[in-house]
Parts: sequence; C-alpha cells; structure tokens
Amino acid sequence: MSELQTELRQAQQPLLEVKDLRTHFRTERGLVRAVDGVSLTLDRGKCLGIVGESGSGKTVLSRSLMGLLPHSNTITSGSVKFEGKEILGLPAKQMRRLWGREMSMVFQNPMTSLNPLMKIGQQIAEPLNLHLDMSHADARATAERLLRDVRIPEASRRLDQYPHELSGGMRQRAMIAIALACGPTLLFADEPTTALDVTVQAQILQLIGEQRRDRNMSVVLVTHDLGVVAGHTDEIAVMYGGKLVEKAPTSVLFAHMKMPYTMSLMRSIPKLEDPSHTRLATIPGRPPDLVHPPKGCRFAPRCAYARDKCLTEEPPLRQAEDPNHSYACWYPVGSPEFNQREAELNNGAVPVTLEAR
Amino acid sequence: MAITLLFAVSALTFGAMNVLGDPLFNILGPIARDTSNPKSVKLIEKAKHDYNLDKPLPVRYGLWVTGFVRGDMGVQFSTDGQPPVTELLKERIPRTVTLLLLGQLIAVLVSIPWALISASRADKLVDRISTATTFMLVALPGFALAIILKYLFAIRLGWFPLTYRALDPFKTRLFQMLLPSIVIGLPAAAIYQRLLRTDLITTLQEDFILMARSKGVSKSRILFRHALRSSMFSFITVVGLTTGALIGGSIVVETVFRIPGIGSTLVEAVLRHDFPVVLAIVMIVATTFVLINLLIDVFYSIIDPRVSR
Amino acid sequence: MTTEAIAAPEVAAPPAPGEAAVKKTLGLAFWICIGWLVLMVLVAVLAPHLPIPDPKANFTKPGQAGPSHAPSAAHWFGTDKDARDVFSRTVYGARVSLTVGFIAIAFGMLVGGTLGILAGFFRGWCDRIFSFMFLVLLSFPSLVLAIMLTALLDRKLLTISMILGVLAVAPVGRLARATTMQYADREFVMAARSLGAKNTRLIIRELLPNVAIPMSALALLGMAVAIVAEGGLAFLGLSVEHSITWGGMIQLGSDSSRTLQHQPWIAFFPIGVLFLTVFALNFAGDRVRTYFDVKEISL
Repeated sequence: MSELQTELRQAQQPLLEVKDLRTHFRTERGLVRAVDGVSLTLDRGKCLGIVGESGSGKTVLSRSLMGLLPHSNTITSGSVKFEGKEILGLPAKQMRRLWGREMSMVFQNPMTSLNPLMKIGQQIAEPLNLHLDMSHADARATAERLLRDVRIPEASRRLDQYPHELSGGMRQRAMIAIALACGPTLLFADEPTTALDVTVQAQILQLIGEQRRDRNMSVVLVTHDLGVVAGHTDEIAVMYGGKLVEKAPTSVLFAHMKMPYTMSLMRSIPKLEDPSHTRLATIPGRPPDLVHPPKGCRFAPRCAYARDKCLTEEPPLRQAEDPNHSYACWYPVGSPEFNQREAELNNGAVPVTLEAR
Repeated sequence: MAITLLFAVSALTFGAMNVLGDPLFNILGPIARDTSNPKSVKLIEKAKHDYNLDKPLPVRYGLWVTGFVRGDMGVQFSTDGQPPVTELLKERIPRTVTLLLLGQLIAVLVSIPWALISASRADKLVDRISTATTFMLVALPGFALAIILKYLFAIRLGWFPLTYRALDPFKTRLFQMLLPSIVIGLPAAAIYQRLLRTDLITTLQEDFILMARSKGVSKSRILFRHALRSSMFSFITVVGLTTGALIGGSIVVETVFRIPGIGSTLVEAVLRHDFPVVLAIVMIVATTFVLINLLIDVFYSIIDPRVSR
Repeated sequence: MTTEAIAAPEVAAPPAPGEAAVKKTLGLAFWICIGWLVLMVLVAVLAPHLPIPDPKANFTKPGQAGPSHAPSAAHWFGTDKDARDVFSRTVYGARVSLTVGFIAIAFGMLVGGTLGILAGFFRGWCDRIFSFMFLVLLSFPSLVLAIMLTALLDRKLLTISMILGVLAVAPVGRLARATTMQYADREFVMAARSLGAKNTRLIIRELLPNVAIPMSALALLGMAVAIVAEGGLAFLGLSVEHSITWGGMIQLGSDSSRTLQHQPWIAFFPIGVLFLTVFALNFAGDRVRTYFDVKEISL
C-alpha cells in the first residue's frame, strides 16, 4: 500500500476505539468497579465530552484510556484501540512511546500538577528532549513558541520562571503547552477548568478548541459541568456509577435527551434567565457504592421517575431516533410512563425516590 | 538567638563544672584537703592563684569566655598543664572531623540509591528486607556495631587494619579510618534511608509525578529529576542535624579503634577530672552543633525557590 | 483526582504504596517482643534466687591454658578472662540496664512531661523559658551531655539513671508541649473553661489523658534509647561503679584485639542479649506508636 493510501486509511478509521472497557480496583473494602463496561469511538479531529458527577468514573475512564493507572491492584479488561492498535494492558515501556508524543493529558489542578521546583521552560522542554531528541537551543525556542501559541504574554521571560510565579490561568495554559509540545493526535483534558475562575474558564476552553482545529487533534474533555461541554464538543457521553448511560452528538443530546439523569444534570445548571432566588435544582442522594453497585439501573435509587423494573433489571444501551444517539433507560424522557410521572410532579406531588421508599 | 544559646550553654557548663565539681581537688589531689600542713597550704594558694580560683565565679567565667573566644582554652589540670588545651585539641580535632566527614559521606552515598530502590519497589520484597535492615541498624548500639564490624572485617577477614596509628603516613591513616567511618556511617545511612524513602513515596503520590509520567518520562528519570529534588530539602536537614548524634557516636568509635580524636580525649579527661579539657571540648561540640543548625536554616532560605526572601 | 470525591463514598483510586502495612492490630511479633521483655525483667528481678553460678566467682579449670574458656554445658556463655561465668554475669547485668532504663524514662517523662504541659498550656513567659531550657539541653549531643554530667556527679545507680533521665527531658518535653498546644485549642477545653473550670482542673482532667497517650506510646522507645545510652556509658567506663553491666562486660571482652579474636564469646553474648532487648523495645514501641499514630522523637 502506498503512503498516501495508508494515510487515507488512517484518516478514515477512528482514532480511538473502546469496547467494553472495565477497570476494577482491588481494595480493602472489596473490588471497586470504577468503570464497568464502557464502549465508545472517537474520530480524528473531533472532541468528545465525558460528563458525570464525582465518583461516576469519568476520571478513571480517561486514565484507563491513556493507560496511566498503576498496575498493582488494578484489573482492566476489554479493548482500547489507538490508531487501530490495541493499547490496553501494554507495559509502561511501550506506552511511554505514546505518552507525551501521540497522546497527552492536561490535568485538573495546575498548581499541583506542575513540578514546583522546576522552571516552566524545563518542564516544556522535557518531552521535546525525550521524544524528539531536540537540542537544548531548539527545545528552548520551541518552548517559547508554544508559550506564545497558548497566549502567555512575555513568553521568553516565563520560560525561566517557576510555577508559583504564574497566575492560575497562566499555569493551566503552560500545562496545555506542555501537553501539546510534541504535537499529539489525542489530548485528554481532565477537568481542565474546574480549578479556575469562571472568566478564565471560557478562555481556556476556547484555547483548547483552537488548538484542536489548528492541529487536527482529537480531544477528550472530561468534566462534571454540562455547561462546559455545551459549546466545545462534537459528541457527549454521560457516565453514571461507572457505566455509560447516554451518548449522542452534542446538539442531539441537548435537544432530545432521553435519560432522566441527563435531564437532571441539565436542570441543575443555574441559568441567567431564571428569576433571582430561584432554588437550585439538585439531584438528591449520593453516588452509588462502586463495590456493591445496585442491581438494575444504577441511577434508579435517586431517580424521581423510576419504577420497580428499574430496580431489578439493568437497562441495556438502546438506539434512539438518531442512529448516533444511544441511551440506557427503561422509561426515558418522552415515554408514556415518564410523562405520567412528570404530570404528577408538576401537580405538586413530592418526588419520592426509591431510596426513601 | 544562637548567640544567647551559646552563652547559656557555656555558662551552664562552666557553672556546673565549678560548682558541682571541685577544681582544686582535681588539680592537686588529696593535698587540696590537707589544710593542716603548711606546705600543702602553700601549694593550695599557688594553685588558686595560677588557676584564678580565688576570684568569684562570674569573673572566672568572664575570663574563660574571653580566652575561649580568642582561642585560648586554658591549661590542663593534669600532666603539668602541658600541652595547653588549645594545642592539645588542635592536634586532635582534625582526626574527629575527618572521621565525621568520611562517615557522613559514606552514609549519604549509601542511603540515596538505597532509598531510591526502596521507594520505587515499595512494599515488595526488596523494600521489606531493607526496612528490617534499617530497623536493626538503628536498634543496635554504636559500640556493639563497632565491635561486630571490627571482629568481622578486621580480625576475621583482615580486610582492614585493627587500629589507628598517628605516626603512619597520611594515606595509610586515611585507610585506617575507613572501617571506623563505616561504623559511624551505617546507622546514619539507615536513618537517612528511612526518611528519604518515606519522603520519596509521598512525593511520588503528588500530581506532578503523574503529569511527568503522562509526558512519557521513564521511571528512573522521574525518580531522579522530579521526586528526588523535592525530597532533598528534608534530606539535607536531617544530614545536618544528625551530625550532632554522630559526634556522640564518634566518641565510642574512637575508643574502639584507638583514634586520638576529641571523642576519646573527652573520655580520658572525664576519667581524670580534667575540667578545662572537658569544658573546652563540650563547648566546641555545642558550638558546632548550634552553628550547623543555623547554617541549615540559612541554606533553606536560599535554596528553596518557594521561600520568599 | 484532587477534588473528585466530595460526596462519593468511594474515591476511585488504587491504594497508595507504602500504606499497605498500616494494620490496626499489634500483631504476633509484638507479643513475642513483650514476652522477651517480661522474661528479661523476671530473670533480672529473680537473679539472686536463680540456680546460676555466682557471677563473682572464678571458675578456673585445672589443666586449662588460660582462665577463660568457651561455652560449654557447665558455663552456657563461657567464662571471661577472670574465669567468671558469663551467663550469670549477663543475668546480673540485666538488673542494672533495666533499672537504669526504667528510672531514666520515668524521670524524663515526669519532668519533661510536666514542663512541656505547663509550657504548652500557659504559653507566654512560661513557654519561652521552658522552650529555651529544652533548646539548651538539646544543644549537646546526648552522649556528650551524659559524659559531662558523669564527670561531675557520682556514679551511683540513681544518679546515672537521673542523668539519662535528663537527656529524655527535652524530647519528651517538646512532644508534651506540642500535644498540649494541639489539644488546648480544642473545643472541649473551651467548653470546660466556660463552665468555670480552674486551670489545674483543666490540665489534669482534660489535657493530661490526651497528652498521656502519645507520651506513653513512646515510653518503650525511650527506654530502648536509655538502655543503649547506659550501655555506651558503661562501655566507656562511666556507668554505675562496682556493678556488673552489659557495657562493662562488652568492654572487657573487646579491649584487646587478641581477646576479641580468641575469646569472642566474652563480648558477643552480652552484645547479643543487649541487642535483643533493645530490638524488642524498639519493635514493640514502634508497633504501639503506629497503633496510636504518634510522631517520632529521638534523643
């Protein structure tokens, strides 16, 4: 096959193919099923948002995909294919060729994720030295260019500064610069804006989006905030209790969401149009115990629309009207049972979750 | 603050020596008690004059301090006062210093790789064995270790000479100091290794280590360039602070291996009740100790980029 | 993974290395060590009544080259250069070491603990003075201080014990002070105060029990250090005079290389027993410390 044909072939196949990924941890309490059967695909240049609460398994998912979890006490199964090649379970030695080069990660807290005792320039230059074998001078020049790409002012001065000398937003930009250094094809952004001010959040997301388009890079954006994924993703996957409960192209999800959990997430975002002193809508209860997950649908104990079937049988992932939209729910939004309960609630019935019953 | 401390220490020591002890008795022996004999009385008067014992205590302290600071540590009580204390110590201090430096060097060189290996294989067999080893090294008294090692390596295996001889050429003397330095260095290495290992393990949990991993940095490089750097501060602090304990250890080691340094001199002087010598040595040791602590504080503020000036 | 698990009962992360061994039980090894220590105490206390040879008697064997002979059925640890039975001397040596160790740490805890609690509770001048005292004491390497004090005072058992106790005062004091300050700020003390409790009552009834726990966890460790220190002093010839001590025995067995080479048992049996005792104290003390979760002290 000619090079052109190989490239074409590569451009057409999905960058990331995940089938039935499970990540379990052995702990004193038992086996924690942090990720319990997740399947998804990601094409080149696209952005996938993974949304869920704390404890939903979204961070474990992103780290499992990248292979960063320590080997001891971790059991993974399923398949993760990157550019057609299986990477799940590969030893660290082989993964290191990919890390920083083909795939990299931006972490949540830039203050603790950057080495406090190393200059910014050195931290950017490290993967350049390692993977691209750059000379000291070249690496420094590239690092400076990268800092400018991520819009850090006075780039050359910043190279010799330490992380604590930069503001929170700048630190996050620096981390993005580090992640982009060797031009990866896949970027994981694990709650990149959670630790930042609201004003800075938008800038960072915009930056990531720009870089994605300029470099034709795929991005996996992990967050608990539906608002974050709304404007910046092509597809959204919603996680709950270690399982994928809904997946759809972004516009489809917001227009036709099926799973009541997704709807609750939507409703819990405070909106500017709401009158002042509107009560924040919350989802009652707590995330499920991942060692002994509930039988049936994992969200059922907290779902205002749940019925008996939800507690005993786990709903499979089904396709919705749009072929790219799948969801796992017995009585999704729009179904007769859902509408009936919705009417009851609107008439003032107090929502009683199955947990309370 | 340090100066106040030193004054307090020296005053306390000086006071203790002169109040709790009986200098006159130590100089003259039983003659000091013999006040009936006119010859003895004369000797007593002379001694009192020579050693300033007729002056009040604070004055004596003042005299001693001014002398000490100028380098004059007085005259020995025994051996007719020769050589003067300062000369005696000048000759002996370098040996102890060499011993301590060599010991610290060995301790540092041994403990760092040891800690790195243990931290990177935490809880595995290698780590468990080394935890047991450090525990035993710390539990074993210094003199016991000295004897055991002397028996094994000098007597049984003959790898090292048995004692130190001051008249041998420099290189030979250095080699003679090797086994004693190991005896001093090993327990220190055990302490350093434990602390460094714990520190490294804690550092390895930090977020920036995961970040470095995600860049493709190899495990050994992570250990050296990222983890070790953070742990260096507390490591250096501990090394400095342990010097004091090592001085105590050197006393015993010098005795076992017959090295004429200030440690063994201290013991001899104590057995002879030779106060000026004891006083001088104790003061030197305490001063060094306080100075080292001071240096560490200064060092800290210079090196750590996070500490604001 | 830093802000993840606010509400989640599970933090979905694998257990960190180095944490595996934090068990909440004392363990079999602990009890074995305690057993050894109890045995040592019993043997030491009952020494005069035990069927062992007289430690001061000379057991020269007729037809033997030198007075000292190797371990045998009659003399389990052999005899030393004056043909004295090493086993019974070791047994008697235990009496000095254990007594000194115990009194030293008791004294250190009593004095150091009191000063520390007072410093931590009353703060101000009290704290400044006591902390300064601790600092002065800590300016000397411990063995040096001990040696200096033995030069000035007599060599009776009680004196030596108190000298070593003085060594313990500063570390114990600092720990007591730190723990007191930690607890004195807590609500239950303020609550008691608001009910009108007087200072003394506060100290004794509210603070003392809380401070006593970490301190007593360190009693075993402190005793180990004291016994080692006494051994060192004895080795140098500066411990209790006219007594059989382990350090003294070791010194006799090692002062000439020839003795060490040809009659190693004279030094090594006492070394062995000393090591086992100190090791047992250290190990047991360490288990207690992790059980109660206290930070380290060292002399």
